[in-house]
Amino acid sequence: MYRKTLLMATVASALLAASLVQAADLTIGSSTEPSSIDPQFSRTGNNQNIAMQVFDRLLETDTTIGIHPALAVSWKNVDPTTWEVKLRDGVKFHDGSPLTAEDVIFSLTRAKNIPNSPAPFSGNVAAIASMKAVDDLTIEFKTKTPAPDFIEQIGFVYIVSKKVAEKATIEDFNSGKAAIGTGAYKFKSWTPGDNISLTRNDAFWGKKQDFDNVTIKFISNDASRVAALRSGAVDLIDAVPPRDIKTLTGISGLKVFSIPSARLIYLAIDSARDKTPFVTDKDGKPLDKNPLKDKRVRQALSNLINRQLIVDRILEGSGEPAGQLVPAGVAGSDPTVTAPAYAPDAAKKLLADAGYAGGFGITLHTSNDRFPGDADIAQALGQMFARGGLKVNGVVAQPYNVYTKAASAQEYSAFIFSLGNSTPTSATGLRNLLMTVNKEAGTGSFNRTQYSDKVFDDMMRQTMAEFDPEKRIQLLQEATKYVFEDTPIIPLYWQKIHWAGKAKVSYEANMTEDTSATLAKLVK
Amino acid sequence: MSVFVIRRLMQSIAVLVVTALIVFLGVYAIGDPIEMLISHDASPAERAQVILSLGLDRPLWQQFFTFCWNALHGDLGRSFVFNKPTITLIFERLPATLELTLTGLVFALALGIPLGLISGLKPNSVTDEAIMTGSILGFSLPGFWQGMMLIMIFSVWLGWLPSTGRGEMGSFLGIHSSLFTLDGLKHLILPAINLSLFKLSLVIRLTRTGVRETMPLDFVKFARAKGISERRIVFVHVLKNILIPLITVIGMELGSMLAFAVVTETIFAWPGIGKLLIDSIMRLDRPVVVAYLLVIVSLFILINFAVDILYSLIDPRVRLGDQS
Repeated sequence: MYRKTLLMATVASALLAASLVQAADLTIGSSTEPSSIDPQFSRTGNNQNIAMQVFDRLLETDTTIGIHPALAVSWKNVDPTTWEVKLRDGVKFHDGSPLTAEDVIFSLTRAKNIPNSPAPFSGNVAAIASMKAVDDLTIEFKTKTPAPDFIEQIGFVYIVSKKVAEKATIEDFNSGKAAIGTGAYKFKSWTPGDNISLTRNDAFWGKKQDFDNVTIKFISNDASRVAALRSGAVDLIDAVPPRDIKTLTGISGLKVFSIPSARLIYLAIDSARDKTPFVTDKDGKPLDKNPLKDKRVRQALSNLINRQLIVDRILEGSGEPAGQLVPAGVAGSDPTVTAPAYAPDAAKKLLADAGYAGGFGITLHTSNDRFPGDADIAQALGQMFARGGLKVNGVVAQPYNVYTKAASAQEYSAFIFSLGNSTPTSATGLRNLLMTVNKEAGTGSFNRTQYSDKVFDDMMRQTMAEFDPEKRIQLLQEATKYVFEDTPIIPLYWQKIHWAGKAKVSYEANMTEDTSATLAKLVK
Repeated sequence: MSVFVIRRLMQSIAVLVVTALIVFLGVYAIGDPIEMLISHDASPAERAQVILSLGLDRPLWQQFFTFCWNALHGDLGRSFVFNKPTITLIFERLPATLELTLTGLVFALALGIPLGLISGLKPNSVTDEAIMTGSILGFSLPGFWQGMMLIMIFSVWLGWLPSTGRGEMGSFLGIHSSLFTLDGLKHLILPAINLSLFKLSLVIRLTRTGVRETMPLDFVKFARAKGISERRIVFVHVLKNILIPLITVIGMELGSMLAFAVVTETIFAWPGIGKLLIDSIMRLDRPVVVAYLLVIVSLFILINFAVDILYSLIDPRVRLGDQS
C-alpha cells in the first residue's frame, strides 16, 4: 500500500515537473482586430496593439503614459531647431540585420507616404525639416520651427527595416513577409477575423518575455469574450464590460486588472453661438438668446450632476469623477482642479443669477454603442437636470456612426463625447479639444463646439513653445486651471478599464488601453 | 429556356445597378467615414490628407460614377479600413461562412425532414406533440440568446466544445476547410447548431404541413389501392410533392443564412462575411458595404435561378420561359 502511494506520488511529481518545463503559451481574447500588420498604416488603437509587440518605437510608455527610452537611448536639444538622437546599440531586426540610423530615417520618411492610410503618422513627423545620420547610431534632426516636444512626436512612430520595407506593399506586411521588426515577438501569421499568432523573439534587446507562443483571438462580442475566458479557451481578455467585473472577481482562478484610464467622458456644451438648436424656453419655444453662453449656466449644469452616483450606479464603479482633461499621474494634470461637487442649491442660485430662475428646456444627445453606459448616462443627466428645475425636452441616443457626423456639424446643443489621451502630456488633448479651431495652425481639430478663448490660446502657445520640461508642465497646469474655471466642457468621469485573466497570468493595466503580450507575465 | 435565361440576365443587371445606387446613397447619408477612421488625436493636416487620399473630397455623383466605371472593369474598389480590394476581402471570408451555412443547412434538412414526416404521418400523437412543441422553441427563442446558452452549457459548464473562432484547417481534394479536422469540426458544431435551429423548425413545419395536405389526396388513395407499399408512397410520391414548397423556402433561407449569419458569427467570433458586413457598416467602410451587397444580390439571383431550374426538374408541369 505504502509503495503504491509512493509510486503515485513519484508519477504525479514527474508529471508536474513535465508541465512546468512545457512551453508557456498565451492566448488573448481581444475585442479589436487590426486592419493591417504594417505598423505605420493606421495610428488607431487596434493596430497599435499588434504593432507594439512586433515593432518598436524610439520611446515607450509606462502604465501612466510616462515616456522611457526604447530604440532611442538619449536625445539632446543642440539649439532650438536641432536635435541629436542616439540609438540603442546592438538592436537586431527579426531577420538578423542590425538597426541603424538609416532604418530610423527611412521609417520617419515613410510615415508620411503610406498609400491610402486612414490614420497616418504624418502629424508625428510634420515638424521634421531634415534628417542626417551622423554615424550608424546617431541622427541629427532639424525642425521647421522650435518644437520642445519633438521627441514625443517622432518617438511614437514605429521603426521598420529599410531593407525589408523599402519595396514592400501592404500585402507583404499582412502575409508576414515584410513584418520584420525589432520587437519582443516575431510575427507568425494572421487569419483575418480569427487570430494572429506570434512567437518569442529570443534576440530581443529588452527584457526576456515569458511566453514562447502568443495567439490573439478576435472576439468582438463582450459576452462571448467573457465566456471564452470562463471556458478556459483564452488566458486573458481585454475590454471587460463593467457589469461582469463582480461576477469575474467572484470566480476562483480568475483575476481582474483595472486602471482608471486617461479617457475622459464629457458633456460638450454649445457655448460659442448666439443661438443653439436644442435649447428652448419652458414651453418648448425657441429662445432668442443662448443660455449656455453664460458661464454661470454651464457651472450650474456641472453642479447639478452627481458624478459619483453615475459612476456607482450606472458604471458599477468603473469610473473616476473628473474635473479636467487628464487624471492624476498624467503630466499636465492639475491637483487643484477637482471634480465639481454635487451642489443643487448652489446650482439653482447660479441659474437665478444668470436670469434663468425658472429654468429652460434642453435636449441631450448621445451615442449608444461607443462605450459602456453611454445611453444610460445621458438618461441620468436628463433626470439630474430635471431635478434642478430644467425642462428636459428629450434624451436622444443614436449609433455612433450617425451621431458623430451630426455632433461635428454643430447640430446639437449638449452632447456626450469621449476623448482618450494617449500622449505623455495633456498638451495634445487640450490643443485639439479646447483651442480655437484653426486649420493652418493645427489647433482645435476636435473642438466640436467651436469654443474659443484668446487668453487660453496664448497660454497654450506659450506652453507648447517652452523647452524646459518642468516649466512646460507647470504652464500646462496653469492653462488647465484657467480653462476649466470657465467650464468649456463639463467633464464627467474617466473611464476605468479592465482586463481579466487566469490565475497563471498577470497583466499590467495601463492608461493607454493597450492589450499586448509584452504587458503580460507568467505567475510563478 | 434560353429566352428565360436572357430575360433573367437583363433583370439581374438592372437590380444590381439599383442596389449599388441605393447602398451608395444610404451609406453616404449615415455619416462621415473620416470621423470613424482617423485617430482620436489627429491634426487638421492629417485629416485633410486622409480625405484627399480616399477621394472623399470629390462630390458624391463623381464618386459614384468612378465606382460604376471601375466596377464595369471588374474593380469593386478598395476598403477604406484595410486598403485591400473589397473583392479579396469578401472572398477571403466567404469560405468560412459557406462552411458554416452548408453544415447548418444539412443539419436542418437531415433532421427536419424525417421529424416532419413522423409528425405529419401520425398527427396529434404524443411524438407529434413533442416535435411540434420543440419546433415552437426553435422558432421563438432569439438566436442571440440560443447562442449564449449553447456557449454557457457546452463550453463553460460542461467544457465539451470550444466556443470561439474557427478550428484547425485541413485539406481534402484541394479544398481547405475546417470540416476535415477533428478540431475544426469541434469548433463548427455549436455555431452550426445555433444557425440551424430556426431553419430546422421551419423545415419540420413545412414538411408536416405538406404531408398532411398530400396524404388525403386522390393519387395517394389510388396508389394504395394499386397495392404500392406505404414506404414507396411516402418516400417517392408524397415526398416529391412536398419538396417543391420546401425547395422554394430553403433556397431563400440559404441566401439569407449566407448573407446575414451576422448574429451567429458575432457570438462565436466566426471569421465570416456576416461579421465583416456589420463591422464595415459600423465603420462606414462604404466600398466594402457596396461590394458586399452586390456580391450577395448576385448570389440571391443565382440561387433563385437554380431554384427555378430545380422546379422544372421535379415538377414536369413547370416549363421555363413559357410565359412569353
